[in-house]
Parts: sequence; structure tokens; C-alpha cells
Amino acid sequence: MLGLLFGLHGNGIDLNAILATPNVQHWLGADDLGRDILARILRGVQISFVVAIFVTLISMTIGVCIGLLAGFYGGKIDRMLMQITDIFLAFPGILLAIAFAAVLGPGMANLMIALCMTGWVSYARLTRGQTMSLRNRQHVQAAESLGASVPRLLFKHILPLLSSILIVEATYSLASIMIAEASLSFLGLGIQAPNASWGAMLRDGVRYMLVAPHYVLIVGLSLMSLILAINLLGDQLRDKLDVRAET
Amino acid sequence: MFLIKKLSSFATVIFGVLLLTFLLIHLVPGDPVEVMLGESASMADRDTLRADLGLKQPLISQFGRYIAKLAHGDLGSSIHTKTPIIDLIKTRYPATLKLAISSLIIGLVIGIPLGIYAALKANHWQDFVVTMVSVRFSAMPAFWLGPILMLVFAVWLGWLPVSGMESNSSIILPAITLGLGLSAILTRMTRTSLLDVLHDDFIRTARAKGLSEQTVIVRHALRAALLPIITIVGLQMGSLLAGTVITETIFSWDGIGRLLVESIEKRDYPVTQACVLVVALSYVLVNLFTDIIYRFADPRVRVSA
Repeated sequence: MLGLLFGLHGNGIDLNAILATPNVQHWLGADDLGRDILARILRGVQISFVVAIFVTLISMTIGVCIGLLAGFYGGKIDRMLMQITDIFLAFPGILLAIAFAAVLGPGMANLMIALCMTGWVSYARLTRGQTMSLRNRQHVQAAESLGASVPRLLFKHILPLLSSILIVEATYSLASIMIAEASLSFLGLGIQAPNASWGAMLRDGVRYMLVAPHYVLIVGLSLMSLILAINLLGDQLRDKLDVRAET
Repeated sequence: MFLIKKLSSFATVIFGVLLLTFLLIHLVPGDPVEVMLGESASMADRDTLRADLGLKQPLISQFGRYIAKLAHGDLGSSIHTKTPIIDLIKTRYPATLKLAISSLIIGLVIGIPLGIYAALKANHWQDFVVTMVSVRFSAMPAFWLGPILMLVFAVWLGWLPVSGMESNSSIILPAITLGLGLSAILTRMTRTSLLDVLHDDFIRTARAKGLSEQTVIVRHALRAALLPIITIVGLQMGSLLAGTVITETIFSWDGIGRLLVESIEKRDYPVTQACVLVVALSYVLVNLFTDIIYRFADPRVRVSA
């Protein structure tokens, strides 16, 4: 949005400025097609945020529902659901997202599906653990003995107590989803040209590293600062909301 | 008892991993054969591939066939080069292993001493500097750190090869790229875990006995503090293995990760499938071993089990 304010649009091409170093016209220089790097960074972060927020919301919804069910019912349902999450956890890091994105094909929608498929697991585990301990709280037992329905118990009596811990988890996962999105785009599996994406910009930057080292440096520094800022926000939120740090 | 329980859950996870990787190819939108061969392929080629992959049979019998072939070490063959995939994996896997182990060593050698140093200087400026630097490094993804290192040490200074794996020094840059991130995490973990231990009663007792500060730290505190680090190292092996995909691509390191990316670009899905399977299985095995080592390293866990 900042970009629109300055009248910058990431796809404008200035043929005289191909791979230009930072100057008055292009504050952070221009890329291999003569597009303004600052404008593309701002455009890229918008897309990245939209993707990250959507993915976080969807995977949180799926994960929380599974976690609530597993934690509330326990027994067979719990064992089955946790077995499924264990299988998803057996794939290291973003490998599964890479695999899904690879077979689904590149593009923003497929990227988001791939990230959601792997994103829900941590929420499911977190919610399950919390639900198991909350289930035995007196107010839940009281509501249950007064005949409250299961959805009412879950959403009215248990979920509100989980909200702060979920907000903190969501903040951290925002950062990791943005890294995952950038990684996939870096590998050419994510957001496609002409849309701006930091991952794809980094890949171009590496390609033109010998002639225009400022390109890769600037994009990388921006990404690092953003991730750092989100993680610090997460730390602050954790302290403010008084959520105990746990595994 | 612990081992039996562990192994049975291990078996379930392996089964799930096999099922999920098997299903991957069925997630391809449209006809996988069409996607893999492209529109120009002849009818005969398509039919051969279709028969080869057995895509017409019911899912269950396809899965059964997949498992049966796997048990014989048959991962199918590449669509484009027709080479058996198992041979591709055999030539590429050692390179990835070499890279992962080198980065692990770098991570341990930098991370643990720095963490100890930060814990001993807790709340002094030295601790502050170490923590600040490690937070920065852990926010630095491989696809940025890699190019930067390449730019400085290979292009500007010319000390090390840019990429490839021809000379012995080729491994240095990719291993540092992966190892630095790991060392940042290990530094923070070692610091926290050592600080926790330093407040324990047995450390006070050791000090009260009149032992030298060095003996207290090395013999008593470190031994207790290193236990949680075993678990962290095991868990981090996962991101290390996944990280090799990107690092290998940047540095043209011919390992499994690069094979995976190449197979995705060529839409050689059987190879993609096999790479994902091999990396996931390695990770599951590493985790199993970490669990077992942890059991035997910590007397408390052993007794309570």
C-alpha cells in the first residue's frame, strides 16, 4: 500500500535502468528488466503477507478443529488423529510443501494449498495438549453437567482460553510461512512472474550477482529484517499475553 | 518395553510416509502421464508409461505393488533418462550426507562453545552480543546467506570455488551456509540449558565441596546441560535435510536435494517421489536414534521408563 502512495507500480519498465545501482530515480536500483527494486519489494511484501495471512488462517482453523476433537474426546479418536499428525511431522521442514507444490504445479493458489497442507500440524498438536488439560477444568465440567452441547463446550468454554496462545503461535508461523513461501518461489514453485515475490527476486539476484550484487543484497536484507521484526513481535506478544514458553 | 513401543510407532509412521509419498503422484491435476510426457509424446510412449506406472489399476493394488517393488529396492526408473532411480539415489545420497554431517559439525563446533560462553557471561555485554548475533543468524534463510557467502568469499576474495563439487574446498561454503543457522539455534539452546542447570542444587553442592570453577562447569553442569541439546540436534537434522534442497541448488552440489529440484523442473515425478521418500525416511531414522540415545544418556529417563 505504501507503494501505491508513492505512485510506484512494480511492473513499470525503464529500459535505461537495467540492473542500475541505487540512484535518485531508483532509490534501491533496478532489476534485470529495468523494474524499480523498491517498488517490487513493496509489492512483493504485500503478496507475501496476503499469502501468509490466508495460509495461517486456514491452517489454524483446520489444526484447531482437529486438536479440539482429539483433546476433547481422547481415546481412539485422539490416537488416530495424532497418528496422522505424526506422519505429517515425519517430513522434515518444508520438504512436504515442496513435494505438494511440485505435483500441483506452480502458482499462487497451489502454493497456498501446499503451505496449508503442512501448516495445520503444529496448531493441531498445540490445541490438543491445551484442550486435554482444559477439559478437566471446573468451569468446563460444570457446563457439561448442565447439559451444554459439545460444540458449545468446545467453542464457548475451551477455545476462548486458547486464544492468546494461538495468537502467539500464529505470529511465529507468519514468519515461517513467509520464509517457506520465499523458499518455494526461490525454487520456481511459488508465485509466478510478473507478480513480485521476494523469493523469485532473490533467485534473479543470484543469477545477476556478478554484475549487480546490490540486487541480491537489498532483497535479502529486507527479508531478514522483516522476519526479525515479526519474530520480535511474537516475543513481545508472548510476554504481554503471559503465555508460558513451551516446546 | 520402551524399544517395542518406539518401534511400533515407528512402523506406523513409516507406513504413513510410504502412503503419503505414494499418493503424491495422484495429486497431479489431470492426467499425470500427459503432464509428465508433454503434448508431443506419441500414443505408444504414453501407453508404455501408463502401463509402467500401473495407473489404471485400483489404488489399493497400486499401493501394494509400490510397496512390493520398494521391498526389492526397486524405486522405478526415471521417465527421461530411463535410469533406475535407485542408482541415481545411490550416487547422490553420499554427497548430501557429507554436506549434512559437515554442517552439523560446524554447527556444533561454533554453537556449543558460544552458548557456554554466553551462559557464563550471562547478562554481561558479551552475552548480549552473542545473543544478538545468533538471533540475526537464525533469521537468515539459506537462500540469502548462501549467495552472500558466495559473493564475498568466492567472487570478491576469490578464496573458494563458487559452486560445483570438483575440488575439496567446494564443500566449505555450502556447509557454512547450513551450519551457521544451526549454530545460532544451538548457541541459544546451550545458553538457556546451561543457565537452568547452574541454578540447580547439585551445582551449589559441588561448589560448596570446594571444587574448582572449571571442574564444576565441565564435569557437573555441562554434562547435565548437554542432554536437551541431543534432542535439539535430532530435531534440527530435519531442517538441515530440508535445507540441503535449497543450499544444494544454490551451490550446484550434486546431492539428493538438487536431484529433487531437477526432477521437479523436468516433471520426472517418479524421481521426485523417490527423493521425498528417501529424505523423509532418513529424518525418521535420525529421530528414532536420537530418542534411543537420549534414553540411554539420561539415567533419569531410563529409570522412569
